[in-house]
Order: sequence, then C-alpha cells, then structure tokens
Amino acid sequence: MDFLKDTELMSKRRLPMIQSKTTDRYQRMKKTSSIHLAMETKKSLKEIVEDFPNNPESMDYFYKLASVFAGEEKINTNGKKVIATTCVQVPTELILAADAHPLRLCGGAYATDQIGSEYLPAKTCPLVKSTLGLMHLDLYQVDEKPLAVVNPTTCDQKRKLGEVSTDLVDIPYYTLELPPTKDSEEARIYWQKVVKKFSKYIEHITGNKITRGKLKKSIKSVLEAQREYRKFYNLRKGKPVIWGKDAILITNAYFYDNIERWISNVKQLNAELEEKVEAENYIANNRSPRILLTGSPSIFPNLKIPILTETLGGVIVAEEFCSTSRMLYDTVAVDEWYIYDMIPALADRYLKPCTCPNFTPNKDRERRLLEMIKEFSIDGVIYQSFAGCQLFDMESRKIGKVLEKNGTAMLSIETDYSPEDHGQISTRLEAFVESLKTRKHIERK
Amino acid sequence: MNKIKTYLNNADVSRFRFWVQIFTFVLFVYGGYWGITIAQNLPIFACPYDHATGGTCFLISLQHQLHTTWDTLFSVRGFALLTAFGTFLLFFFFLNKAWCGFICPVGTLQDWITKFRKSIGVRFSRYEETTFKYLKVIKYLFLIWLLIVPLAIANSFFGLPHMSHDWFPPFCTICPARVIMPLFTGDVSQLAIDFSSTPALIMTTLGILAAALFIVGSFVKKRFFCLFCPMSALQFLFSKIAFLRLNKYGDKCTKCGNCYRVCDVGIKEIADDVISKNIVKDDCMMCFKCVEACPEDGCLEVAMFKIPILTASENGFFKRYGADEQKEITDDPK
Repeated sequence: MDFLKDTELMSKRRLPMIQSKTTDRYQRMKKTSSIHLAMETKKSLKEIVEDFPNNPESMDYFYKLASVFAGEEKINTNGKKVIATTCVQVPTELILAADAHPLRLCGGAYATDQIGSEYLPAKTCPLVKSTLGLMHLDLYQVDEKPLAVVNPTTCDQKRKLGEVSTDLVDIPYYTLELPPTKDSEEARIYWQKVVKKFSKYIEHITGNKITRGKLKKSIKSVLEAQREYRKFYNLRKGKPVIWGKDAILITNAYFYDNIERWISNVKQLNAELEEKVEAENYIANNRSPRILLTGSPSIFPNLKIPILTETLGGVIVAEEFCSTSRMLYDTVAVDEWYIYDMIPALADRYLKPCTCPNFTPNKDRERRLLEMIKEFSIDGVIYQSFAGCQLFDMESRKIGKVLEKNGTAMLSIETDYSPEDHGQISTRLEAFVESLKTRKHIERK
Repeated sequence: MNKIKTYLNNADVSRFRFWVQIFTFVLFVYGGYWGITIAQNLPIFACPYDHATGGTCFLISLQHQLHTTWDTLFSVRGFALLTAFGTFLLFFFFLNKAWCGFICPVGTLQDWITKFRKSIGVRFSRYEETTFKYLKVIKYLFLIWLLIVPLAIANSFFGLPHMSHDWFPPFCTICPARVIMPLFTGDVSQLAIDFSSTPALIMTTLGILAAALFIVGSFVKKRFFCLFCPMSALQFLFSKIAFLRLNKYGDKCTKCGNCYRVCDVGIKEIADDVISKNIVKDDCMMCFKCVEACPEDGCLEVAMFKIPILTASENGFFKRYGADEQKEITDDPK
C-alpha cells in the first residue's frame, strides 16, 4: 500500500536529523521556549488552584498531571510506543488495540504558539501554531517520542499543517482523510474505508497486530472512560459542585494520560463530587449564572476565558468543545464483536455525532447546543473563537441567531493565546456575567 | 414503580427475545402435535403447509377468500373476508410489527442462521443505500400480486380470459416458508416440482429457488427475506394506528448512529430522522435492538397504549455494551 512506502521513506529521511533542528538557533529557541512554557504552565496552574477555594481533593492528581508542561516530570508510557494525533476524529481505540499510547497534541500553550508563528502565516489559528511549535521543539507530554502524527483532514489549517511542516517535524505525518460532510451515506462508507486503512497503518508502524480480542478490550476500556465521563457530565447538571476550569483540565488529561489511570482518577473524583452533592456543599449559589462554553476549544494552559468567567462570578457547567464533551460523550455500539464490524462501528462513532464546524451542513451542533442548554439549565452561552479559526468564527453568527430565537444570551469573543487581550476580555465578560445575574434576579422575582 | 422501570430499561431485551422466539417457534411449528391451534389469520408466517402448525398465516386465508367471483365477494360471503381481516387487524394492533421480531417463525429461522454465521465469524453484507431503496418496493409488488391473481383466476379482468387455477395460491407457491417450514416436521413433499402444467411448473420452481435463496441470503444478510415479505407490507399499512409504538424524541438524539449500526434490517431513519416521533418504518421488525443500543436517556421509547414500557437509557446502554460484560473474548478465531 502507498502509505507503507511513504512511511519507509520518512523513516529513512529521519535518520540524519532534519536540518532545521541542528542549528544553534534551534537549541536556543528550545531552551527559552521550554522556560516560557514552564512559566506559563505554573502561572495558569496557580490561577486554577489558588484563586479558587475548596477545590476537590481528587483534583490534585489532575493538577499534578497538568504540570507536565512545566517540564519536570513527563508522563510515563511504560515503554509503550506512542502515536500522536492532532484532532478529535482519530479513533484512539485502534491505537490502544495495537498496544500503543495515544497522545493528542492539540496545543494550548502561548510559548509554543510563538514558535509556530515563525513558520505559519500570521492569521493562522493559535491552536495549530501551538501544536506545530510543540512538535518542532519536541516538547511532548510523554517520555517516549511519538512514532507518527495522525493528522485528520479537518479544518484547512490542520489539513495543510502536515504538508507544509515536514521540514520542521522529524516524525512522519499520516493524513487521515476525513470527509467534509457526514450526513451522506457516501461519506460514511468512504470514512469507514479510511479508518480500515488507518488500522493497517497502525499495525504496520507499531508492529503489533490489532486482534479481535485486543480491539474489543480497547473499545470496552474507552467505553468505561466514557461511562465515567458521562457520570461527571451528569453531576454538573445539578447545582454546581465543580468549577468549569477543573472540568476542562480533566478532559485535557485524557489527551495524554494512561487511560486506566485516568478512569480510576475520574471515578474517585465522581465519588467525591457525589458526596458533595449529598452534603449540599456547592461551589456557588443559585444567583451565579450557569454558563455554557462553546466554539474553539480551551486547552490547558490557555484557560483564559474559563478562569476569567469563573472569577467574575459565573459558573461554567458545560462545554461543547472538541477538547471536552465532543471527545468523550458519544459511544460505540458494536453488533458483532469481530474486526469486520468493530472498525466500521468505530468509524461511525467518530464521524456521525461529531459537531465540528468543518462538516457542512452542521445542523447537529445547533441541536446539540439547544439540548445542552435545556439539560444544564443554561443562563448564557460564551462563544469563543480563536483569531484565525475561521470555521468557528463563521458559525458564530448562525449559532447566535439560533440561540436568540431560543431566548438564550450569547457572548461572542474572539481571542488567541496571548495575554494581551486580558483586560479587554475581562471587561466584556464582567458585563456579560453581570447582565446574566440581573436577568436571573428579575426572573426569580 | 421506578424500580420496575429501571429494571426494564436495563434489561437484556435481545436475550428475552431469543427465548420468546424459541418458544413461539416450537408453538407455531410443532403446536399441532399437542392439538394446539392458536388462531387463524395471524400476522405471521405460521405456515399451514406444515401439518403440525400451531396457527395459520393471514395471507393464505386472504388468498382463499379473494379466490371468488365479484358477485360472491360483494354478497354475504364477503363477510368472511371482512371477519378474517378484522381478526388479523385485532392481532396485529396489539403487537404491531413486533410480530415479526418476536413471533414469526420464519423470522426466527433467519435469526438462527445469522447466529450460526456469527459463530463461525463470517462477515455480513449490507445493501447499498440505492439498492435498498429499490429492493424495498418488491414486498408491495408481492402484495399486489397476491391480491390480484386470486381475483383474476375467478373473474375476467377487462374481458381477458381467466387465469389458470394452477397459479393458485399465487404467493404461497413461491413463498420459501411453504418449502422450508414442513421440513421441520420431516415432510419433504413440498420440495417437489410440479410438472403438470406450465404455471404449476413455473410456480413450484420459483418456490424451490426462493427457498434456496432464503437460506443463502439469510446467511450473508441479516433478515434477508423480511425485506421482501408481503406480510410486512400489509402490516405497515396499518402500523400507524397500532397500540405498540416505537417513538423517537429527536431533540435528544446526537446522531451517534448506534441504533442504525445494530439494526438487522438496516433502517437508516432510526439514526438520521430527528423529526418524526413514530419511527416504525416498513422494514422494521420491532426487535428493539436500537433501544438497547441508544445511550441517550429517553431518546427512543417503546410504548404500549402510550405507556412507556422500555426506554433508552445511559445506564442500560453501559450495562449492555460497557466493560463489565460477563462474556469476554478468549481466543482469536483468525
């Protein structure tokens, strides 16, 4: 198959270190960026941990895990091979079934965003730039260097990233051909074939065969993770017992953590939160507006908007992000537990319910948001779009109209990873949260 | 009350269905040996060519009642047709298309063939969307055929000569159930090809072919024959007013497609239609596998007289599909 040839070429090419990485400048850049990243991580963690009283004890694990970006201790993969991914549509079950460690790279760090800016056009989305910077400087969250980066053809920028940065990243890209639409049967069949081919690639590059038993086991363990996530998700439907900034951190941990460890820690957290619900130990009172976050994903350390919103008195009770609910909410059901049915089932799960704006039409996102607003008794929606993230930006007006019709207030914010717009955003958020409070107050009367 | 509800929502409906199917299969294939006759005019393929059948299929009565001249049809004798039809509807209204999924012995037989295929690890096939669209129509053509031919044998249409009686019964002779079901009681007489006249030859040959196709088809395709079943077509005409319902609340649907994946008859609307409440389509056999596979609380619902008896639930889904399932895969067949 053609991809086998490509990979071989790539692995030959990677033996002599790629040129851009041999210069002194690169070494200096790596050193300063690592320091910046560590500082950024610590600052963000400080805000998350210290500015909020009564954080659940079980969150300590996740706070510690997030400090991996500070470069102190990397995630131990127990000698497993690592396959990196750059988007939510990569079936991680296949990677797990090949005894490899899936690592989602989507970056949230401003330090690496600045590195990416050197090589990508100025108007590129910070997430893509940050991801590139992370790969270029080898600042992976795990101790093992990834064997390959699986890059789904989602938005234009991610789609092109693999092609334009081969001289910057010394691991091979694998392009996962995601269709631009998901409702048609043709797209579905095409995507099933793509995923089938991808499973062969994973087998090839890891040298491990994806057997029926292993795939079944990995599907079940992801289902277990989803069961715990959904439990957590449902807990947030009631009076708030956990801040949104923590929720985002938990799902972020799923990007790089060992899945079993992640499950057991979320389980522990859920138990603690259930106790809090029982003891009526809430983090905010009834007057605090319940907020839904959507749009471009908040990824640690860039938790600017969630942290600001919550310090200003709002509570984020739900997120419709590809870094949170879109990644873990929807499940797989397999009818016949054989490879021939498991792989298409996985393909369906990663395509059909996905509400990423790169699909058109994307009516499902409107429906999903409306349902979430109902389920979580949302008072207001904050729509985050990154400067350069065209797709979320383009959908914001459409979503705004739908929400207006539904009687839900929405604040649309364009931002990026730099700390510069902090003041401006803070003012807007404050006004929004206050107006929601007033509205709630009037409605209660 | 809530406990019962949770119990039902977490139940393994497929296992329940498996046992019901065994019970009804024995009842309708061998019931005659114990002198059991449940009823005539049933909305299932309980085939009277099997001499031990525990009931009869409505289609055979329908063909017999229609095998009459116009005069008699519109006289007092026509009441016989109406009562037969009324009985059929009465039965049908209670269980809607669940007759197909839970009771029909021919459906059960196909499920068993599927089970056999599964046990040897052979993959199934699915129709392409367009093929499926065309094939769906065949059952309605069969229905029209079985309604018209008996009348055309007894009457003259537009001055044309009467059809030969050897075409009768027009559907039963080509129905795979006629050939296969008697085999379960050791009766091989239906395997014969009748050379007495051209229509008889054509019909019996088609019957044998249909039976062969039935076995091969249901091996590679789940519920192969149901797609062509005229009973299914006839049932669907009245499905909208039946008491047992399969409802979908589209707002809750995330279109994850779990329901479509597990659907044995391949109904795409179950996943993609987020507007219709009544989601029973003409090929649906109401096996409720979709409800089992739906992880959204209250998205799919089975209701009898508007009282929900089985509702899709997150807990139920994880119980059925999640990690703590007892049956673990031990070895790899390949």
